[in-house]
Amino acid sequence: MITPARYRPLAWVLMSDALPPAERLLNLVIALVNTTGRMTKEQIRSSVAGYDRAASQDAFERMFERDKETLRDLGVPVVTVSSAAHGDDQGYRVDPDAYALPPMELSAAQLGVLSLAADFWQGQTLRADATRGLTKLRVVGTTPSETDAVAGLSPRLHPAGPALAPLLDAAHERQVVTFTYRTASTGEVRGRRVEPWRLIASRGGWYLVGFDRDRQAPRVFRLSRIEGTVRVVGEPGAFVVPPDADPMALLDVAQRGETRTAWLAVATDRAGALRSRAVLQEPDPDLPSAPPGMDLVAVPYTRASDLADEITGYTDAVRVLAPTTLRESVLRRLRVAADMGERLGVHGG
Amino acid sequence: MAERTPERLVRLLGMVAYLDANPGQPVEQVAAHFGVSPEQVLRDVDTLWMSGTPGYWPDDLIDFDADSLESGVLRLTRTRGMSHALRLGTREAVALIAALRALQESVGPALDPVQREVLTSTLETLTTATGEAAATVDVQLAVGASPEVLAAATTAVSSRRRLHLRYVNASDEVSERDVDPWQVLTGDERSYLQAWCHSARGERLFRLDRILAAHVLDAPLEHEPAPARDLATFRPSEEHTPVEIDLDGTARWVAEQLPLDALEELSDGGFRVRLRVASPAWLRHLLLRLAPSVRAVQPTEAAVEAAAAARRALDAYDALG
Repeated sequence: MITPARYRPLAWVLMSDALPPAERLLNLVIALVNTTGRMTKEQIRSSVAGYDRAASQDAFERMFERDKETLRDLGVPVVTVSSAAHGDDQGYRVDPDAYALPPMELSAAQLGVLSLAADFWQGQTLRADATRGLTKLRVVGTTPSETDAVAGLSPRLHPAGPALAPLLDAAHERQVVTFTYRTASTGEVRGRRVEPWRLIASRGGWYLVGFDRDRQAPRVFRLSRIEGTVRVVGEPGAFVVPPDADPMALLDVAQRGETRTAWLAVATDRAGALRSRAVLQEPDPDLPSAPPGMDLVAVPYTRASDLADEITGYTDAVRVLAPTTLRESVLRRLRVAADMGERLGVHGG
Repeated sequence: MAERTPERLVRLLGMVAYLDANPGQPVEQVAAHFGVSPEQVLRDVDTLWMSGTPGYWPDDLIDFDADSLESGVLRLTRTRGMSHALRLGTREAVALIAALRALQESVGPALDPVQREVLTSTLETLTTATGEAAATVDVQLAVGASPEVLAAATTAVSSRRRLHLRYVNASDEVSERDVDPWQVLTGDERSYLQAWCHSARGERLFRLDRILAAHVLDAPLEHEPAPARDLATFRPSEEHTPVEIDLDGTARWVAEQLPLDALEELSDGGFRVRLRVASPAWLRHLLLRLAPSVRAVQPTEAAVEAAAAARRALDAYDALG
């Protein structure tokens, strides 16, 4: 049972009390939307509900700066207005044209898809942003029903960690960032200065593709190897992404090589997951035939080390016939693994 | 639960614009629309009608029709210029558009024409509304299933019908089974079908890339969907075998990618992981892959057994010449 408050509290009573931040910000937005011209900081301090006039000038300045940042972060266009008539004193207002979402309407099904999109970021730093975006879009939408058009699809991402949000902002503002990075191959840890171009989630990892200012070349960074805080240096608009830059292609190159075909002998009824990726292809004439009881299978691959790991796991159920490099990497892995038995059997047994 | 300031502020502003465009909405309807409780909506109303422009005299404040409110209906009588929907912030637009694009690229082709149209039109509307904002993020989802398998899975989920699967598990055994499909869980590394398995008589997660074939049956679902499982927090159950592995620093990816019970740093840059293992075959795969970095395994037999399997494979290569 819903019982609405019967009597409206007297608003002025609250003027003397500290308002919760959300209510102070609400009053600030309404004031800045409705102002004729602009409001100076002093006017805001003395007239907007929630700003404590008894607080020190410093405390007010800090609170107001924070509030302004929060509002801009949320998409509220707080603009600074300087006026010659008022000397150096700056004023503020909300630009009403930039405030509004362009005219649009969303159907129940479309809002359903958008809540799915917001769910996508579960457990991520972007979750709060996505949910807030959804709240804004609900204003122009029809309430979705339980039977969403794309019910049953539930995307999930690996967490990106704390570096994602500042990198996103910097990429959007075209600001240079610095961070400490641990190189995977060497374990070397050192600082990087990077122009952030694009952030990409792929194969269980988050990557930054950008221009490494120290190396003077485009580079790919894995976010989980960034240590500590990402810092912004310099002004927005500090670089342009070259029009011919292809971040996806750079990531591709970093992640894998070209596609090749592995020729494998696979024991009957084994390695089903490998078989499911098999393609029909005419073998080279000089390819050795599969031993008795095994089938010849052609599997395309891009990352040789991944496929070698996978094949090693099948041990004697899969044998590499070609290419030789793949066969050598599998043999190398098998030898190390066979030695592991003696190594650990003696010491640990 | 305390709500964060930005979330509350955005809803307060949103409610004014929504109610201005949709006059006379019941409190319950507004609550359902914004995904909050009716009590929260009433608290928001209490806040709104004490908010307005400096002076804060009655005419300065946002106001609701009192009679309507008595009967649980929200009707604005004054908006104080706040009737526009607020535009999206950069990160908000980026997050939603990147997710929609990832969905479109990964599962889009497997959706039926109506679903696909909804996805496409939503993406278009949002892109038009936000312009360049989304160019900074890309998400690639790894579905890994054949288009036929994915289409059968999404069709079965949306039409609530049983699905027949040919599936190969981590121990490399092929099985045929009927499942009640609940959800397709699309991930950036792998994707899964969450379903009730009639053979196993329980809920199971099937890796899409291990489903060899799937076709939709006529039978309806017998078992209703359980809540969606969060892959990020998925942990094997207690009954699985505990295993402890000491690794050197080069195997750091294990700490990043596997669901661990515990991670302990060792003094020389190495580390010790504890995890629970459901399938001996899976553990063997893992140990074979980690072999160069493994320093110790408890139980040791697991490593000895994996090594013996590797030795057999080497012998087979020797025999082949």
